[in-house]
Amino acid sequence: MSAPRHRAFSLFRVAALTGNTFTGLVRLKVFYVLLLFGLLLIGNSIFMAKLTFQQEFQVLKDVSLGAMSIFSSLLAIVATAQLLPRDLEDRTIYTILAKPVPRYEYLLGKLAGVLLLLVLSLLAMSALFLVLLFVREQIVLAETLRQSAGLPPAQVEEALAGVRATAFTADLLPGIVIIFLKAALLASLTLFISTFASSNIFTIVIMVFIYFIGHLQATARTYWLEEHGAGWLARALLGLVALAFPDLQLFNLVDDLVAGTAIPLALFTKTAVLGCVYISVYLFFAWIAFHGKEL
Amino acid sequence: MTEPAVRVEGLTKVFPIPFRRNRLVAVRSLDLAVAPGQVYGLLGPNGSGKSTTLKIILGLVAPTSGTTKIFGRDSRGVRSREAVGFLPENPYFYKYLTGLETLRFYGKLCGLRGARLTTRTNELLDLVRLQGARDRRLGGYSKGMLQRIGLAQALLQEPKLVVLDEPTAGVDPEGSREIRDLILDLKGRGITVLLSSHLLAQVQEICDRVGILAQGVLVREGRVEDLLAIESQTELILENATPEVLAQIKELLGRSSTRLVEQRQPHTTLERLFLEATALPPGEQP
Repeated sequence: MSAPRHRAFSLFRVAALTGNTFTGLVRLKVFYVLLLFGLLLIGNSIFMAKLTFQQEFQVLKDVSLGAMSIFSSLLAIVATAQLLPRDLEDRTIYTILAKPVPRYEYLLGKLAGVLLLLVLSLLAMSALFLVLLFVREQIVLAETLRQSAGLPPAQVEEALAGVRATAFTADLLPGIVIIFLKAALLASLTLFISTFASSNIFTIVIMVFIYFIGHLQATARTYWLEEHGAGWLARALLGLVALAFPDLQLFNLVDDLVAGTAIPLALFTKTAVLGCVYISVYLFFAWIAFHGKEL
Repeated sequence: MTEPAVRVEGLTKVFPIPFRRNRLVAVRSLDLAVAPGQVYGLLGPNGSGKSTTLKIILGLVAPTSGTTKIFGRDSRGVRSREAVGFLPENPYFYKYLTGLETLRFYGKLCGLRGARLTTRTNELLDLVRLQGARDRRLGGYSKGMLQRIGLAQALLQEPKLVVLDEPTAGVDPEGSREIRDLILDLKGRGITVLLSSHLLAQVQEICDRVGILAQGVLVREGRVEDLLAIESQTELILENATPEVLAQIKELLGRSSTRLVEQRQPHTTLERLFLEATALPPGEQP
C-alpha cells in the first residue's frame, strides 16, 4: 500500500483539522457559554412582564442580539487564543506538521474549527431567541384578541398586525449574519496575534484592547475630525489606528434592528464584504508570521 | 548510487538569544548520511543538538546554513514529509481523542480515507497492542501506551523513514523492550529508522550506525561494531569449560606473547533480569 499522492492544497486535510479543532473545543465544554445566554434570556423575560408589548419585544431583541454579539465575540477570542499555544506546549504541532501538512492548511483548519463552533453557537442562540420571541408573540396576540372582543374585525386585524410588526421580522436574520462575521473577524485576528504571542493570556489581553479600540475608534474619529478639525498629526495617528485595528462599530447594526429599521441590502453587502476582507487579511498575516516560525 | 534516506550537508543552526549579543550555536557544520534500511542512532548529552538536528530534518526548524534532504527531497518542502513518520520526545497527543480517533485524525492528514483508513488504523492498533484501549481517551493512557500510540501514528502512511526522538524516555523496561522490538520489526521490513536516545545499551543493541554529537559537533560517526571494537583484543566466550581446559588454554597463552587481560563469568543484562523477575506465569497474562 503506497501513500496517496500529495497535493499542495487538500480540503480533506483541512476538514480533518477543522473537525479535530471543533471536537476539542466541544469536549473542552466551551458551550457552557450558551447556558449563560439561556439564563440571561430567562431572567430578562421575568423582568419584561411589567412592560408594554412594544417595549417587551424591543428589550428582548436588544438584550438577545446584544448578548449574542458579546458571547460570540468572547467565544471567538477565548477559543482561538488557546489553540496554537496549546499545540506548541503539548508538542502535538510537531506530529501534525511532520506529516505532509502545509502550515497554511494547519491555520485554515484551526480557524475553520472555531468558525464552525461559532456558527453552531449562534444557531443555538438564535433558535432560543426566536422561540422565545415567537412564544411571547403568541401570548401577546392571544391577549390582544381577548382585549379586542366586540371591536370591528378591521380594528382587531389592525391591532394584531401591529403586534406582528413589532415581533419577529426577517430583518433580524441579516443582523445575525453580521454578528457572526464580527466574531469570525475577531477569531481571525486572534489567530494572527497568537502566532507570535508568548501565551494565550497575552493574546486575550491584547484582543480585549483591540476590541475596545475597535469599538471606540469611530467615535474618536468623528470627535477629532468633524468636531475639532484635527491637525495633521492627529489625522495621521487616526489613520494609523484605522489601518491597524478593525472598525468594529461598522458591524454594530443591532441598534437599527432593535429600533425596527431594516438593514438596507447595500449596507449589508458592504459590511459582509468588509468582514470577509478583514478575515482574509488577518489570516494572510497569520500565515506570514507562522510559515517561518521555529517550532 | 542509491539516494540516502537522509542526507545532511554542512548543517549549522544558530539561535539568537533575546536581549543579548551572543548567540547559541546548536549545530555546527554537520555532515551525515543515513542509508536506506539502516537504523541510525544519534547520541549525545542534553543540549548537544540532537533534537534540533531532527527538527531541521523534518522541516520544523529552518537551518542557518547547509542543507538536509530526505530521499533526495529538500526538508523545507512539505513533499519531503510524505514518506516520513515522526515520534517526538514525550509526546502529548490530544487528550480528548480516543486511541482510534487519534489514528483516524493522523491518517486523514496523510490522505488516507474510507476502508483504507479503517484497515490501516486497525492494523496499527493490533501492532502496538492497543486494540483493547482503542475507545479510551488518551487522557487515561499510561506513558508507555502514549508512546505506543505515538509510534502507531508515525507508521500510518507506511513511511520509508521513521524518526524517533528519545522513543523510550520515561518508559518502563517492559515498554522500552516493546518499542525496541517494534524498531527491530521496522528494520526487518526495510524501513529506515533515525533515532536519538540516551539509552546507550539499547542503541548499541539495535543501531547499525551511530553518530555522537557534543556541543553541536559530530565527534564520532560510524558502524557500531567498528566504533566499539578494541582492535588489539579478542574475546572468547566458552560454555561448560572445565578447569583442566582453562589451565591448558592459559598454558598455551603462556608460551606465546599473548597476554590474558581478564577472565570472568559473563553477566546477564539488568534488563533481562528485570523482565524475567517481573514476568507473569503463562496462565496469568492480563
